[in-house]
Amino acid sequence: MPEVSRRSVLIGAAIIPVTAIRSAAAPTVPPANALSPEQLRTLDAFVDRLIPKDENGPGASECGAANYIDRVLADNNAAEKPSFLQGLAATDAYAQSTHGSPFADLSAEARDAILTDMDSGKATGFTPNSRTFFNRVRRLTLEGTFSDPFYGGNKNFAGWDLIGYPGPRLAVAPEDQKMHVAIKPMHQSAWGGSNGH
Amino acid sequence: MAINLKPVDVAVVGLGAAGGVAVLPLAKAGLKVAGIEAGTWMDPHKQYHADEVFNNVRGGVTSVQKANREIPTVRENASSPTRPRGAIHPMMNAIGGTSIHYWASAWRLKPWDFRTRSEVEKRYGKSAIPAGSTLEDWPVTYDELEPFYDTIEHEVGVSGNAGNIQGKLDPKGNVYEGPRQREYPMPALRGTEYTEHMMATAKQLGWKPFHGPAAINSQTYNGRPGCVYHGYCGRGGCHISAKNSTAVSTIPAAMKTKNLTIFDLAQVTRIQTGPDGRASGVTYIRDGKEYFQPASVVLVASYTYENSRLLLLSKSKAYPNGLANNNGMVGKHFLSHWQGSPVFALFPYNINVWYGTPAQTTVVDDFADDNYDHSGLGFIGGTSISLGTEMHPIEAASMNTFGKAPQWGSKWKAFVKENAARWTSSYLQTSTYPYEQNFLDLDPDVKDPLGDPVCRITNANMPNEAKAAAYGQKKTEEWFRAAGAIEVIRGGAGSGGLSTHSYGGTRMGDNKETNVLDKWGLAHEVPNLGVLGGSVMGNSGARNPTLTVQALAWRTAEHIVKNWKSIKT
Repeated sequence: MPEVSRRSVLIGAAIIPVTAIRSAAAPTVPPANALSPEQLRTLDAFVDRLIPKDENGPGASECGAANYIDRVLADNNAAEKPSFLQGLAATDAYAQSTHGSPFADLSAEARDAILTDMDSGKATGFTPNSRTFFNRVRRLTLEGTFSDPFYGGNKNFAGWDLIGYPGPRLAVAPEDQKMHVAIKPMHQSAWGGSNGH
Repeated sequence: MAINLKPVDVAVVGLGAAGGVAVLPLAKAGLKVAGIEAGTWMDPHKQYHADEVFNNVRGGVTSVQKANREIPTVRENASSPTRPRGAIHPMMNAIGGTSIHYWASAWRLKPWDFRTRSEVEKRYGKSAIPAGSTLEDWPVTYDELEPFYDTIEHEVGVSGNAGNIQGKLDPKGNVYEGPRQREYPMPALRGTEYTEHMMATAKQLGWKPFHGPAAINSQTYNGRPGCVYHGYCGRGGCHISAKNSTAVSTIPAAMKTKNLTIFDLAQVTRIQTGPDGRASGVTYIRDGKEYFQPASVVLVASYTYENSRLLLLSKSKAYPNGLANNNGMVGKHFLSHWQGSPVFALFPYNINVWYGTPAQTTVVDDFADDNYDHSGLGFIGGTSISLGTEMHPIEAASMNTFGKAPQWGSKWKAFVKENAARWTSSYLQTSTYPYEQNFLDLDPDVKDPLGDPVCRITNANMPNEAKAAAYGQKKTEEWFRAAGAIEVIRGGAGSGGLSTHSYGGTRMGDNKETNVLDKWGLAHEVPNLGVLGGSVMGNSGARNPTLTVQALAWRTAEHIVKNWKSIKT
């Protein structure tokens, strides 16, 4: 992407530095260390079925949604890490009892069957119930797939491209608010040039 | 033992939307003002981001302060248990307060809102007043407040199109508004193809749509630039100061006089009272130390919950049930604005509401206030319908699937791929009234880290508001369908819980038995104590409160200036 951070643009009568949209002091992102490799594998197999890779492009796994979740559980969402790990363990236990293998080793069809049971609240072994955990993973998967790539997901802006979100931009022209068209994407993180690539 | 500070003329508790404007007329008049604020200056460079996770998921702008340690508890009625407390208080502490991250819709209330009880009784009879409502006419009329609305619109900076200048109607603006003395200082924020399409549709329906007013610059104003519509306004701060929070408008102007001293990161814990029953100053904690700031006049300008809580906590010999509460009215006439009753619409093409701001709107007031005949409808008041812009990607992907797709998997993915840029929501605000059974008090069980009880909200949803909101939803559905939406669905029915639009608790009114404050916003029982904020209002109107809060705050401050000698002694 072009390096634009030293330019200024003229809006009305005021000069606004392009850097104003970005942070001067982006917080350092902690290492992705909330989950063990096995837990991460289970989670990745989970998000992969929520938003699968298919003819419409990369899915949540390719977007790095599991990586996003791994990071936030180590950081901002640390308080929910214990319940989240419980949910992951319960997912594997349910896979073992219904299909005879860990969740991540199962076919797409088998994983879908398990997630359907969880979504409907039928799957057993969850606290308080499987639906609560399913919905939480779904929500975090949406965050990981469609958030600013600064947070470790939405790799190559594939999430934003999927839904047609054109990306944060410094100033929005009237033509960027037109109907009927697809707005030209910016592929730029609000936190600076190297994020998302 | 508290450290005693040098006395000041006026101590203002809270430098948000209300306190942040009140300091300007006080300081300009030469009074020495202490602005005591629990938060501090926000740093636009470090804290204002075009980032949904930072602003909207984590509450990065809003959730780091004192308010979060004292989130009120909420219960339906006096015999129901309190619900689990939310994780994030909707309000924040900072110099500029919630005016930093609000949507900046900047409405005047209607003349009717100030006199609802008498107007309703006149038009529909006494029985039309909702059962159990403690509604009173305001002790101030729209005409009396008009000059202060005008002052705020110009001092803070509001963009909009006038609909009624001294009785002359202009369909470019809101023809239902009360007469104003002149135009807004800036034209309305620019329209988009979507807002213009909804405008044209509303006109075809015979309605009178217009662009809503906003405390956001539509062009350069007072040295600050016009809005760049980047789409991260709600719950975010403005990185170019085009949103006119008090932190960039009235507070810096007051500081220029050298009469305003700001004490930041200072948490006021009590308002003190002298042996004569007058307020003597405030006690606050800063950095673990306790200070006493003596003042001739105290203005309480924290949020609605904290205004009542602070008075109730400030007990003394003269006020054993809390300051200015010998009549038992502190915490009464509480109301939480009826919102959260959206209608979702899906269009067969991209409407692209990604960018903009929630205040970049087309609004209809045809079903608000008393702008239509309510005979036979079974409710009073009404709903304003606001269609704005600003959609974030996680929010967009979390869209309602209108029964057309599952919630995950390839079919869901195909659905959001096609439709994420094709849907929108509406913002409905319904006139809300005070009722006997809805009030604020101190929670008997839950305490803040200092050991003081938090505020407890007792608030039941009342049928008058539910009916008025449903009527507004029906009209919104009509509007979307006429505009070509292929799917239209109602969100929740709406409710009033913990909210950025909370009112009452220290209502103003001429009747000393039923109100805490007089018509100037000063306490009936304590002549040198004033209260600013939505807590002084006894009903909401069908629109955002801030401009009215600010006009009333300026008016109270100006009254104090004009009557300084009699008020300070």
